[in-house]
Amino acid sequence: MPRKPSTRLMRSHAFYAAALSLASASPLHAAKPVASTVPSFTTEQAQHGADLYRTACAMCHGADLSGNFQTPSLKGRLVASWAGTPLSRLTGYIQRAMPLMAPGTLSTEDATALVAFLLRENGAAPGKSPLPTVEKRQASLKFPALAVGPDTPSSK
Amino acid sequence: MSRGPPPAASSEHSRGGSLVRAQAPQPAAPSPSAQPASLPRRRIRLQPFDLRADQITDIKVCLRPFRAMGPRFDVEHVGNKLVFHNYGHGGSGWSLSWGSASVVVEKVSTTLQRKVAVIGCGIIGLTTALTAQRAGFDVTIYTKDLLPRTRSVRANGSWTPDSRISLTAPAGPEFADLWERMARISWATYRDYLGLPGNPVEFIEHFSFSDRPFDAPHEEKPDGRTGDYASTGMPQHGEEFARYSDRIRDIVPAGEELTPAESPFAAPYAKRNSLMLYNFASYGHLLMSEFFQAGGHVVIREFHDPSELTSLPEKVIINCPGYAARDWWNDKSLIPVRGQTAWLPPRPDLPYGLHYHGASAVSKTDGLMVQAYDLDNEGEMGSVGNSFEHPDRTESERAIKVLADLFARSPISEG
Ligand SMILES: Cc1cc2nc3c(=O)[nH]c(=O)nc-3n(C[C@H](O)[C@H](O)[C@H](O)COP(=O)(O)OP(=O)(O)OC[C@H]3O[C@@H](n4cnc5c(N)ncnc54)[C@H](O)[C@@H]3O)c2cc1C
Ligand code: HEC
Repeated sequence: MPRKPSTRLMRSHAFYAAALSLASASPLHAAKPVASTVPSFTTEQAQHGADLYRTACAMCHGADLSGNFQTPSLKGRLVASWAGTPLSRLTGYIQRAMPLMAPGTLSTEDATALVAFLLRENGAAPGKSPLPTVEKRQASLKFPALAVGPDTPSSK
Repeated sequence: MSRGPPPAASSEHSRGGSLVRAQAPQPAAPSPSAQPASLPRRRIRLQPFDLRADQITDIKVCLRPFRAMGPRFDVEHVGNKLVFHNYGHGGSGWSLSWGSASVVVEKVSTTLQRKVAVIGCGIIGLTTALTAQRAGFDVTIYTKDLLPRTRSVRANGSWTPDSRISLTAPAGPEFADLWERMARISWATYRDYLGLPGNPVEFIEHFSFSDRPFDAPHEEKPDGRTGDYASTGMPQHGEEFARYSDRIRDIVPAGEELTPAESPFAAPYAKRNSLMLYNFASYGHLLMSEFFQAGGHVVIREFHDPSELTSLPEKVIINCPGYAARDWWNDKSLIPVRGQTAWLPPRPDLPYGLHYHGASAVSKTDGLMVQAYDLDNEGEMGSVGNSFEHPDRTESERAIKVLADLFARSPISEG
């Protein structure tokens, strides 16, 4: 399988540096998401989520969201587990359960920003309108099936 | 995978040659306990483990799913499904698993259904699934992870059936009776896994060392806590935790105190007992293969809300998600109790375990396990409410040092 280059990229220092600063140039972004309807969120929301992630989540889930043997990855498998689920459930889960050592400490706005960040990191592009924080409105939005497409020539 | 043939002659034990009573009796030293006069007592010689931080191969962290009233066993409707709960086994999930499964499956049998879904494949879900199969059910396990990636294999894995399983008062006397039933069924079921290749379940010699007499009352560090579970919603004192072991003294081998002359290592007080262990790798593989051989199915799936269970084909569901129930069933009665184990290369030639000053080391077939179970002398209250499920290497290094220092003080004579 001609997927080696991006694997190597993930291990490179350059990637970690990029991931640590949470720039949006992760390998998954190189792939075109084959998406169902992607809920809209703004760049600002995702960036706020990125800032929160770095301070409250990265120590366990990893700067590059890849997790480890005992902490789940927040990329890839996250999509498989949550695709089709109302977004309010993911926001609710994050708010109830995370960060694991201090559950219940995030506001709805912060949890929503983290969801926007997770959408972005899994390949969704930011849009014009923000992700609503009202639970009822989020409940009508579904976590999208963001499938990784074939590598583009530039990422090979 | 067997631990090798027993060495000839003087070993008292069936596996390994490390536990040998020395030929020459040591001069008598003041005994902390009364001795049965009839037994000739000699020093037990143990080869110390090679405990060094640079031998760590893995550090695992887990949250014990503790509930003050004991595990959750009630039954509820979710849509048109009947859900039987089986979670919240605190620090006793391995020990009580078969008994807990048996209690739940008996209830499930009254539904007269043939098919059952089990949610979760930790030690509770897996033993529940096997018990249901043995009762004649067609079983499908729905789980986000199989046993090797669950919290269960991040435990210690020895017979500790009343380790932070409940608080005496909120659990009440009915739970004490239920506990005894579960403990007896588990204990009996484990006998069926003894003496098998790979030692899925085995007994080893276990030693406790102390600088204070064992009957001296445990002095918790004064921590300024007031009130109790009833007034604060959290346990506040070690004495609130239930102790039920005396109810099964008739079947669990008694421990015995050793005199300093008999003690293998240089601590003023020593005890030995036979301890039942669960070796995660071999036992886990055995249970999974039993499940598949009996026609069981596994579906990898993650649930986010109880309502998602209505999409399952089975009408009857046994719910075994462990600590995760706090988040997806919104069960705030689950209190996390953090625990961490460090794993060093296996020493099948030294099949024993010990603990001293809140640190323990146990030789398991899948590794030499070191646990800091109570380095700061907090007793049962240690790590209660702590959900930092992330490795803390310093903690493991401290535990290694406590035991390495004990070994260093204990010159062991050769031959
Ligand atoms: C450090 C430590 C030492 C311990 N030592 C001992 C000991 O010596 N002896 C003893 O008896 N006990 C011990 N315990 C306690 C024991 O480990 C637990 O009681 C036991 O592991 C609980 O098992 P479980 O199957 O209920 O939970 P888990 O092992 O957490 O299993 C839960 C299962 O549910 C699945 N699941 C969870 N959420 C979802 C979801 N949303 N969707 C789908 N599936 C899901 C998981 O993938 C997993 O398969 C110890 C615990 C710790 C932390
Ligand atoms: C102390 C370690 C730790 C920290 C810090 C932490 N998590 Fe987690 N997270 C975990 C573990 C462990 C799980 C798995 C929980 C389980 O199985 O019950 C998890 C699960 C999750 C899940 C579910 C993954 C899935 O596949 O369904 C999400 C989403 C998540 N965390 C997001 C976050 C966010 C966002 C933060 C920061 C606000 C955070 N986590 C902080 C350890 C941590």
